[in-house]
Amino acid sequence: MMSIRRVISKIERNYIINNLKNEERIDGRGLWDYREWKIKHNLVASAEGSADVCLGDTRVITGLKYEVGEPFPDIPDEGVCTVMAELLPLASPLFERGPPDEQSIELARVVDRGIRHADCIQTKKLCIKENEAVYILFVDIYVINYSGNLIDAGGISALTTLISSHIPEGKWVDDHVEWTGGYITGETIVKELPIVLTFGKIGDIIFIDPSLPEELICDGKISISVTKDKVTSIQKSGAATFSIDDIQMLNKKAMELGNLLRDNLNLWQYKVNIE
Amino acid sequence: MTLLIKDEYPEKLFREDGKRLDGRDLKELRPIKLEVGILNNADGSAYLEWGNNKIFAAVYGPREVHPHHLAKPDKGILRVFYRMATFSVFERKRPAPGRREKEISMIITDCLEPVLFLELYPGTSFEVFIDVIEADGGTRCASTTVAALALADAGIPMKSLVTSVAVGKIDGKIVVDLSGIEDKAGEADLPCAITWFNEEISLLQFDGDMDLNELDTFLKLAKDALKEIYEMQLNALKSKYITIQEKYNGGQVKQ
Amino acid sequence: MENDELDSEEFEDFEDEEFTRDLVVPGEILTEDIENFLPGRGTILNEKKDKIISLNIGLKKITKNYINVIPLRGFYTPRPGDKVIALIVDKNPVKYRCDINAKDFAILKPKNTYKRSKIKTRGRIEKDIGDTSTEKYSIGDILITKIISADRLNMPELTTVGKYLGKRSNGIVISIDTPKIPRVIGRSGSMIKLLKNLTKCHIFVTQNGRIWLKGEDLAHEKLLIDAIKKIEKEAHTVGLTDRMSEYIENEKKKRGIN
Repeated sequence: MMSIRRVISKIERNYIINNLKNEERIDGRGLWDYREWKIKHNLVASAEGSADVCLGDTRVITGLKYEVGEPFPDIPDEGVCTVMAELLPLASPLFERGPPDEQSIELARVVDRGIRHADCIQTKKLCIKENEAVYILFVDIYVINYSGNLIDAGGISALTTLISSHIPEGKWVDDHVEWTGGYITGETIVKELPIVLTFGKIGDIIFIDPSLPEELICDGKISISVTKDKVTSIQKSGAATFSIDDIQMLNKKAMELGNLLRDNLNLWQYKVNIE
Repeated sequence: MTLLIKDEYPEKLFREDGKRLDGRDLKELRPIKLEVGILNNADGSAYLEWGNNKIFAAVYGPREVHPHHLAKPDKGILRVFYRMATFSVFERKRPAPGRREKEISMIITDCLEPVLFLELYPGTSFEVFIDVIEADGGTRCASTTVAALALADAGIPMKSLVTSVAVGKIDGKIVVDLSGIEDKAGEADLPCAITWFNEEISLLQFDGDMDLNELDTFLKLAKDALKEIYEMQLNALKSKYITIQEKYNGGQVKQ
Repeated sequence: MENDELDSEEFEDFEDEEFTRDLVVPGEILTEDIENFLPGRGTILNEKKDKIISLNIGLKKITKNYINVIPLRGFYTPRPGDKVIALIVDKNPVKYRCDINAKDFAILKPKNTYKRSKIKTRGRIEKDIGDTSTEKYSIGDILITKIISADRLNMPELTTVGKYLGKRSNGIVISIDTPKIPRVIGRSGSMIKLLKNLTKCHIFVTQNGRIWLKGEDLAHEKLLIDAIKKIEKEAHTVGLTDRMSEYIENEKKKRGIN
């Protein structure tokens, strides 16, 4: 399409809408098809887990770093995982440099919430010594190329990073932590695999995985995180309104398509073994 | 905040067999892989792997200057933004740009500017974004080398490419292309860059101690390494087009 | 509706068979024989004035005694007379601001959106009728325009008055690398004619890297877009026109369209 501008031309908008009315999308996909996924894991040696994920032309590189610190007083036997996201200027002329803006904060928070409530990260296994020392995990998402739907790409990228993790194992000796010489890996840290699926709405038509032109003209989006049998988080954005029927339909669709995607991607293949 | 494994430097930087810790000879470069035009939203882009360094570079320009008061009426401005990912180094780096990143940004700007014709683009800006995904010694040299490719890929007229490498001294011996460990534990580190149109130095820094006659040795070694890396840059720029030409011309491409 | 004006010798850039197809890069020495050659487009004499070097990544082309480099990558520089596809991004009561894929936005004044008509009233002076408001177009409109002026100090100015110019209300616009545009037109329009005939689409190619197209349905339009992307990728090779003909015919079979 025409290269990215903040103003989208009317004919491009009409082009996309007219084709959607025939249930056709301009890149040939159906309403419920994802673009192609390409996943690489453990590519950054300085990180304790990493993933390079492409969804169509959208590309996201995520890395994991750890620290050992004191737990929060209200959860003395649990570790902590925080998600941060940066929309790098090299990903799009629409991204300005500077501190995280609304879009990057939304990306980080939606991915974070999708993981947090789904029994994904076993935070009790991230405890070294109750009240004294726990792991603090930093999952940092960098958007390398923007071509629509950062949330789903970010979600899979974060999940793959956690699965590929290999963090030095600590033990409590007297009054401090020491390295056991071993590692705790994604197999220990990750249990459930919540998948976040983003749907776009243009006019009355709803579809999955908005590409760049679709995202720039869409009236609204809704992202739904699902495990095998539960919905774990929902985020609606944009000015469009969704009917209750639509929302119920989308929850079902998300579960169905989420299970499909989880099986297709087979993310557990990305776990890492370290002696 | 603590880490369980400490970042320790080995006692010796040479092995029993006389090679460096990663198996290299004194003058040997780490493996370098360059790719041009990998990001389709930027005007020009390139990706580099140099040893364990992994760096993306992207260029936008000529375009309007933001904030507007920085625009110059008689020439364009070049700005380079060098940033490292939090997970690119052993101990997690804070996301916000630090002093080292700002210093390196400035040095790379000064290094690339001589090859551009900024006087032809008054009131506009050229911006180079460099993002280091993994760092392992010599990142400013690697960044300069990949940034030059991104500028060429953007179709911006250039007097020539720019190539950069670091030479230094470890355990008393003068070597080319210091890895992360060699950089931290060695005695001297001299990153430099050459602009090929006049074969002069556009980036030069030095840390450590050196005798007056050692500078000559350093720079001679650097020149040889720079020529080697330059060939790789040229190949990277051309290879995308040559592969396609060969496919359709039946291999009759003149070089 | 379609391009039929080929008013620049640049359109012959990629088609000339004398083309060496030597791929050169910035700083590459094109010749040291400065007695017999002069630096042409995309080249420069070095500081010592004993070599001609390339400024861009591109194809070396020798015309008479000028050495030129036809760039393969680059941004669009507005020139008077160029036809460009403009997107209106802003407007105020006295002018439209347009994106033309260049470093500056371009200005379209209302007086350049209407053909001048004169009213003859008996005995009195002829009066110009021309709208002076910006009611005609809105933000988001795609216009095929011509550049009437472009210089270093001012934003380029556009007009929509002229043959084939004006607003497009249907179809789609795509962008390709600006330097590849001549290849989409081809020598004497050979490539664009081929594309039109084989895909049965209307197509308008402009100098700022943008192409407007409209086909009988989505499938034909998609085929044309894929064909143009292929031209963009292989612009620097020989025999492209024949290859495109073959490609489109094969794709039509594969996709089940005619």
